[in-house]
Amino acid sequence: MNNSDSNLIKLGHSEAIAVTMIFLGSKAFLGYPRMMAQMGATAGWIIILLSSIFSIAFWLIISSLLERFPGKSILEINEVVLGKYLGFGLNIIALLYIIFSSSLLLRLFSEAVILTALPHVPISALNFLFLIPMFVAAYLGLEAISRSAYISLPFIMAGTFAVLVFLYPFWDITELYPVLGAGAWPLLKYGFLNTSAFGEVLILAILAPFFSFGPERLRYAGITSIVIVAVSLILITVVYLMVIPMPGATENLVPFYQLSRTIYLGRYYQRLESVFILFWTFTAFLRLAIGYITAALITREIFKIPYYRPLLPALAVIILSLALTPEDVMKTVELEKQLRLFYGWIITFFLPSSVGAAAYLLKKGDRRGKKA
Amino acid sequence: MADVNDNGQKTDSFLTQMKNAVIKIITFQKPAATEGFILYGIDDTPQDHEVTGDTGKEKKRGKKKPLRVKRTVPGETQEKDVREQSKKEYNREGLHDYRKLLVDPGLKTNKRCIEEIYSLPKNKDIIIRDLIISAEQPREAFAVFVEGISNRDTVNEDVLKPLMLMAKFEKNVDIMDMADYIRKHVIYSNQVDIHDKYEDIIDKINYGSTAVFIDGSPRCLVIETKGWDRRSIGKPETEQVIRGPHEAFNETLRSNTGLLRKAIRNPNLITEIMKIGERNKTDVAVMYLEDLASPRLVEEVKRRIESISTDYAGETGVLEQFIEDHPFRPVPQVMVTERPDRAASFIMDGKVAILMDGNPNVLIVPTTLFTLLHSPEDYYLRMPYGNVVRFLRVVSSFLAVMTPGVYVAITTFHQEMIPTDLILAVSAARETVPFPTIIEVFLMEFAFEMIREAGVRIPGVIGNTLGIVGALILGQAAVQAGIVSPILIIVVAITGLASFAIPNYSMSFAFRGVRFIFTALAAVFGFFGISAGLFILLTSITSMKSFGVPILSPIGPRTKTGPDVVLRGPVWSMEERPDFLDTLERRRQPDISRGWVKPLLNEDKQGGNGDE
Repeated sequence: MNNSDSNLIKLGHSEAIAVTMIFLGSKAFLGYPRMMAQMGATAGWIIILLSSIFSIAFWLIISSLLERFPGKSILEINEVVLGKYLGFGLNIIALLYIIFSSSLLLRLFSEAVILTALPHVPISALNFLFLIPMFVAAYLGLEAISRSAYISLPFIMAGTFAVLVFLYPFWDITELYPVLGAGAWPLLKYGFLNTSAFGEVLILAILAPFFSFGPERLRYAGITSIVIVAVSLILITVVYLMVIPMPGATENLVPFYQLSRTIYLGRYYQRLESVFILFWTFTAFLRLAIGYITAALITREIFKIPYYRPLLPALAVIILSLALTPEDVMKTVELEKQLRLFYGWIITFFLPSSVGAAAYLLKKGDRRGKKA
Repeated sequence: MADVNDNGQKTDSFLTQMKNAVIKIITFQKPAATEGFILYGIDDTPQDHEVTGDTGKEKKRGKKKPLRVKRTVPGETQEKDVREQSKKEYNREGLHDYRKLLVDPGLKTNKRCIEEIYSLPKNKDIIIRDLIISAEQPREAFAVFVEGISNRDTVNEDVLKPLMLMAKFEKNVDIMDMADYIRKHVIYSNQVDIHDKYEDIIDKINYGSTAVFIDGSPRCLVIETKGWDRRSIGKPETEQVIRGPHEAFNETLRSNTGLLRKAIRNPNLITEIMKIGERNKTDVAVMYLEDLASPRLVEEVKRRIESISTDYAGETGVLEQFIEDHPFRPVPQVMVTERPDRAASFIMDGKVAILMDGNPNVLIVPTTLFTLLHSPEDYYLRMPYGNVVRFLRVVSSFLAVMTPGVYVAITTFHQEMIPTDLILAVSAARETVPFPTIIEVFLMEFAFEMIREAGVRIPGVIGNTLGIVGALILGQAAVQAGIVSPILIIVVAITGLASFAIPNYSMSFAFRGVRFIFTALAAVFGFFGISAGLFILLTSITSMKSFGVPILSPIGPRTKTGPDVVLRGPVWSMEERPDFLDTLERRRQPDISRGWVKPLLNEDKQGGNGDE
């Protein structure tokens, strides 16, 4: 971004992948496996497989657009390709999307904490409690958040896979039949609509100027993140469907919590869900902080403000009030589903890809960038 | 109401006295003007020459003014003066007026100067020894040195004796060359300098040298005669090892630099000496390898040290606070060691060591969190053992931070985690305890901290008392009285042990402090609170830098490094120095550093016993 401090902050390849993976993968700890079960029944995992393939295709288009404008963020590219006003409009949509999705996630994570750990805490208090670490992290900067993401990612992954492995006694492969679950057409349909699950890979395009490497490696960073997250989500969904069979699988508000609750390795090692609260709340903090600071950075970029820190309190108020707007959990879940399925992919994949197509048709940008 | 007594004096009646007393109590009385003790006694209003700004004239030889600063007369104006003075900006222009003076040819003038500067004869440490140099034309002279920091024998044998007995000059030496002639022919001390500025002379005298002023000569001989009582090189107090050298730095800068130079026999080892403190001028040495350490790092270290303007910074702990990047964060950003072998190994890595006179602790910059968790012994032990102790240390640093918090979280919020038998035991133990867990934990943790602090301060003679108080009263009696539960004693003990397993003193302070925050968070929000605390701690650590190096390098950010971060590989596999130090030479050793392990070239040779 135009600012001088973008020259100072340079994130490495590993940090970029870690940030993207946390940004994409945190939904595994919310209702994502349940949604898959609802859409694809026993074949919920196939939806993830399909949507990851679709998203990689979309990402290839977007990253080729980034290659045309090396060192520029997708926001700047929007303005260059579509002109000042149209680009501005598009950027505002992206900003609103990230603010909406962050506040919905804030609400959902808070509800999940209430459901699982602290049943007597009012939602407003929990929202606020989530906001404080978010604010501190965002204030300390992208560098701190991305490094924290990189450091904590192995632990989060290890914790997640430990839950899956500990459930081994409950695995029942027959619960995955029929293989095609709800049928081929719904799988394909939801597989496409659900690409927005990976749409957040766009964060790489937004943060492009902050990376120490070029668009070529950015493409691989995106693909790597999508593949690893897709594999993890597939594993979680498969285990979820195997352990908690189909009709019941659609009824858990926080499937991962239910999974960790089910662990029973003899009389001594049981009910370990509290330990895993540590893992997924930590992921939640990271995910929310990344969303928060990205929103601030986008705002700075759109309105050409020199610093992002003064924007943080205002954004915090916006995110907090949006998070508290839905009446109850079910409303929030419904809203999230709508945002994801019907608007998410348009904003995260379709619009940037169209910009890519426009850039190609209008012959804007540096075509040699591809070869260099 | 007034009565008249026998002596004819008026006395108030009892009622009037009572009334006055009551009025006196309930109303404001102007306090009696008393002469209090206030340390601001010095009037540092600008001296005449400062006002005129005519400092050039001062350099003229022979122009000497009374050098004593004027003291204010204690009195009513003092209070106002103090306030005005405290408002004044920090200005040390007039602090050392003698700095501008030059040595005078007249011996009497020089003597008066020295007497002024050192407030003689009030100051009893300064010795002025009059003597006559036994030249063909005997010349009057005097020697100045400070009793206690100059070596008596050296002054006698190497300065006075040659000057008074052996200075039989063969020819008539010109007075202007006298000092130089004496330096070359008469005095056989190993360091003799000639100065003509009082500034240099006084600094040297203050550091143990002897100055000799000669009548008629505008130059002064300064002979190195340092020698004071000092601690000999002893064993490390805080960084003890079983394998490895048992030397520690002591309080003398020169023997410390010597220890390092003894360890690193390399002409590229540079020792730069700087002075900090306007009033004291403590020597600070910066040591690094010129062909290895990043020049920008060295520049930054020197820049930070040179920029400090203060009256007195006499300890590396104070210096550390002056030069560190984040004064308000818990994690230290400067490594402190008292072991020459350790400091040497850091210098060989391309880091910079900062030594200070009068200090057995050496600062190493930059540092990372992982080096703070290392101990020198990790490297001296064989790789598997070294890794075992390191692993132990990593676990104990987590335990030191988390144990009380996790205990509080589990017993307060997540009881379902505890297996039934255990929770029965816990609740049975807690049955008689009247306090909630959090109060219990805070009580005992606070008591533990008190024992630790008292243990440091307690005089050795009565040290046994501490063990009795700590172990018997706080441990056993508190449990028997039903104030705390026995399980909690175990928790506190584990936390304490774990915090002492952290090798760095500052780091273990940091962890012990942070654990109170984690305990409080756990008491309010359970594991969610711990998670929030961990998140804030991690992000705040990842945003920290120590002299430009992120403190969590080489993991956050990820950079290239040898196999030596949390665990370490074998010594022959550490081919490269850490990338984050940006050293001039990256490679430490070739890929195959064990020359005797030769790769097999032909398959023919493969038979045998594998020794080829």
